[in-house]
Amino acid sequence: MDMNSVLTVVLVLIGAPIIGCLASGIDRRITARLQGRVGPPILQPYYDVRKLLSKDNMIVNESQNFYVVVYLIFIILSLLMLVFKADILMIVFVYTVASIALIVGGMSTGSPFARVGSSREIMAILSYEPVLLLYALAIYLLTGTFKLSAVLDASTPVLMYTPLIFIAMLVVLNIKLKKSPFDYSTSHHAHQELVKGMLTEYSGPGFAIIEIAHFYEYVFLTGLIFLFWAANPLIGALIAIVAYLLVIVIDNITARVYWQWMLKLSWTFLLAISIVNIAFLYFSGVKIV
Amino acid sequence: MSLAKSPWIIHVNCNSCNGCDIELVACLTPLYDAERFGLLNIGTPKQADIMVVTGSVNYKNVNVLKNIYNQIPDPKVVLAVGACASTGGIFHDCYNVVGGADQIIPVDAYVPGCTPRPEAIIDGVVAALSILENKKKGNIRGKEVKLTGKEVPSNA
Amino acid sequence: MIETTIMLLLAVPLLFSFLFLGLGKSMYKILAWAFFIFGVFASVQLIRDGVGVYVITGSEFAMFENIVLVLEVLVVLFIIGVAAKYKNWPTLVLGLISAAVFAYTFTNVPAVESASFNIDQFSQVMILIVNIVGTAIILFATGYMDEYEEHRHLNRQRTFYFTMSFFLASMNGLVMVDTLGWLFLFWELTTLCSFVLISYNMDKEGIDNGFRALALNLVGGIALSVGIILLATNYDISTLSGIGTYAGTDAAAMAAVALPVALLCIGGFAKSAQMPFQSWLLGAMVAPTPVSALLHSSTMVNAGVFLVVKLVPAFAGTGLGTAIAVYGGFTFVMCSALALSQRNAKRVLAYSTIANLGLIIASAGIGTPLAVAAAIMLILFHAISKALLFLCTGEIEHTIESRDIEDMPGLIKKAPLLSTLAALGMVSMLLPPFGVLLTKWVSMEAASENPIVIIFLILGSALTTVYYAKWLGTIMSSTMDKNEVHHKKPETYFSLSFLGLSIVVTSILVFQIYDYFVRPQVEILLNAAPNVSGQAGIIASEIGEFAYAAIFAVIALAIILYLATKSMFTPRKADYYMCGENNMERDKLMFRNGLCSYDKSNVSNIYLQNTFGESKLTTIGYAISIILIVITLAGGVL
Repeated sequence: MDMNSVLTVVLVLIGAPIIGCLASGIDRRITARLQGRVGPPILQPYYDVRKLLSKDNMIVNESQNFYVVVYLIFIILSLLMLVFKADILMIVFVYTVASIALIVGGMSTGSPFARVGSSREIMAILSYEPVLLLYALAIYLLTGTFKLSAVLDASTPVLMYTPLIFIAMLVVLNIKLKKSPFDYSTSHHAHQELVKGMLTEYSGPGFAIIEIAHFYEYVFLTGLIFLFWAANPLIGALIAIVAYLLVIVIDNITARVYWQWMLKLSWTFLLAISIVNIAFLYFSGVKIV
Repeated sequence: MSLAKSPWIIHVNCNSCNGCDIELVACLTPLYDAERFGLLNIGTPKQADIMVVTGSVNYKNVNVLKNIYNQIPDPKVVLAVGACASTGGIFHDCYNVVGGADQIIPVDAYVPGCTPRPEAIIDGVVAALSILENKKKGNIRGKEVKLTGKEVPSNA
Repeated sequence: MIETTIMLLLAVPLLFSFLFLGLGKSMYKILAWAFFIFGVFASVQLIRDGVGVYVITGSEFAMFENIVLVLEVLVVLFIIGVAAKYKNWPTLVLGLISAAVFAYTFTNVPAVESASFNIDQFSQVMILIVNIVGTAIILFATGYMDEYEEHRHLNRQRTFYFTMSFFLASMNGLVMVDTLGWLFLFWELTTLCSFVLISYNMDKEGIDNGFRALALNLVGGIALSVGIILLATNYDISTLSGIGTYAGTDAAAMAAVALPVALLCIGGFAKSAQMPFQSWLLGAMVAPTPVSALLHSSTMVNAGVFLVVKLVPAFAGTGLGTAIAVYGGFTFVMCSALALSQRNAKRVLAYSTIANLGLIIASAGIGTPLAVAAAIMLILFHAISKALLFLCTGEIEHTIESRDIEDMPGLIKKAPLLSTLAALGMVSMLLPPFGVLLTKWVSMEAASENPIVIIFLILGSALTTVYYAKWLGTIMSSTMDKNEVHHKKPETYFSLSFLGLSIVVTSILVFQIYDYFVRPQVEILLNAAPNVSGQAGIIASEIGEFAYAAIFAVIALAIILYLATKSMFTPRKADYYMCGENNMERDKLMFRNGLCSYDKSNVSNIYLQNTFGESKLTTIGYAISIILIVITLAGGVL
């Protein structure tokens, strides 16, 4: 590991949560404005985390915070692997570890609300995992390798040949950010029926770590969208930001749906358009490098 | 000032007529927008800082109140909103009513009125915040509230 | 020295089986320990002997050949005998057909002059699995069977240990022998052991399922023997390696042997319980758990995929290969979907086994060096993980008296070590950096050129994640039940811990395993090494790389971080939130309901019975898989 990559690691470790925190703050602000409110300060997520860190750690059992640590670390690992242009298929698998850790963490508390939330989140995995893997396959078909370095070196953006997968990935972004209409596993807004879903039993520092991991996750997920136009980083970043804003708007204009509905949407519409896109890539044999 | 900037409240409706509840929810509406101060109405006591109690306490919900109080991590404050939660209100001499919330758990601040206006509730929350900060500084912890054996009336 | 080791591997398990038969119950534990130690030493010795071929000729051959013939006649007679005794007509008919085929072989097929044992790296891997994992399972059984029999009022342990040890001997023969005629004998012997062990309980359910397994495996056996006859009469091939040599890389020769090869593969499919043969493996779950672990997940069903992988040179890159790949991929996705709807832990594991064997077959069918390497590694990793999971399920059943996943919440509190080991087994099935996932990754990358197979693999992979995550979460969830169950026997827990440790060690040493066993084997099979570069810590193909060492390091980091911060934030315990309705006067667990009595809160997992249920999918699965098999056969004929 040379000096440069050490520097990159440090930069990601420090920079990503700052960006994620701001993104989260902007989200709350935009949401407030869309509802005709003033809204909290942009730095509100930071205040929240700071407060949570200074509170007591109230736990149901000893192991529940272990899963949180795994969740955080594997989110960071998948983000770092994205930054270091690793194998996209491997990134998806590493990212799955993080998701599973949070789910098992929720279930490990034994709380009925957490188990409801976790069960639904497992169904979310069933909905988005195939799309993520098909996205990885599309990258392979376009570049001839699963390594992301080829995508970043290519002169043509991935999006040119994968518009349908892009649409599917927008929905995946929506599911993974746990925004309405897919915020049924854990949500600020569903406390009447869900309390806090799979995060119900987390408090204080444990919950703070989850929030920090969410900051990293925001960056990671928008990073996946960024890849669609990595040929020109500026446009790529713009697309990622627009996608994020779109998700916020969708969050505000839709109501929560049943998880069954999401599963149907994913396994019929999303998979169908993704497979059509893959079939096109396969039969046309188009390459971007 | 690490606590005052993000007060998360949990709302416990003991025996309320819903008047205070509606006013409390009004605090979050665009007109009053309590989220300006970072205030969130959170569903689970595990993540809450301020416990907002409305309505008088009766025999049926003593347990609920104690359980939820015990499940809030320290530092925490309790805010009694409305006449009923503060003193028992017009229900104070009902056969099934224990009294105000302070009969059961330590209450830090009271918001009087039947019903209190949203401004008053927000004012109460702000008052609670400084208590919260003091508790953090002084490392004052809420004691676990135990059953006393008189929660269920003998004729139940 | 290799001859001695081979003979030891055949003779000693046989000796042990007769010792089990002759000695009393009190000696079983000692015998099992001795057997385990023998298994470890013998298999390591075989690896130290290196690769080689051991040819038996002359009078020695004549003697062995006569034994083989006698045994084959006995097997057929036994099958016909039991089928007649229990009036199971389909099996009887199949047994008679087998007898006819055998008679035809005896009279019409040119006799061979010699027989050979071929020890290559793949056989070494299989020997390791059979003798180390297998004997560990027998060791587990000595701590398990007493209680099992007590529940069911049985006293048949003599039969049990005899058959298990006898099975190990035949399995050893199966993976080492090169002569097709002998291979067939060992093949039928394992089928027979499977039948005896499935009907172990001697109730109607057990016997019915035993006969189903026997009948379906006889179908596979008939396909196998017809394939062997075709090879011997038309092409004068009498050894397994001879098929590869004959086919070589010559497309015309490959096309010529395609039909017998397809038949052999169908024999393999039946043995590996691929769709449409899957029902026998599901039925086999009535057997005691050690049987499921030994025969129906880690060894016997692997014989089928073992054969298919050995045949790779005869179909790599042909239409037949593609058909096999699509067929395997289809089984993978279909059985993963079926597993989603199951709440019986053993059925989940059974479907998962079938699915993973399908994945192996798909990888073999793709036939590129990378894919074949993935197939061989998957056999190894899957065998260890699945053996552990089956044994854990058995032990869980004895701990909580149920194998229903919905009864398992709180297991982590009742039996912490057991749950941790079961969790390790599940995690190793679905998450990096463990072997199964790593090899799944390799096979996905290898399959990426074939759109149908890769889409099957992607869907199946997502489904696999879901059904294991569900179960994992359930056993790790801590209800407030505090009754810890003390149920620790040294034999059972030693085997479980040993298998758990093996998962971790083999996953860490994955590159070394690849380098030592898999690369040479793929070179033998395909005359080309997989394009895998890299060093220990990273497995890199030309289209991707997987830094598994980094993930291990990160897991270690997570554990250290957790332990370091564990006491930092002054943790305080509280009960979980139930809207404040936890009853304070009792165990703080149950809801007080409106009638002032108490209810337990209960949340079950999502099983999607209406979408992925057996009644919905099985028929479709049968139809499509039969069509695919017909296509495979047609690929062989045309």
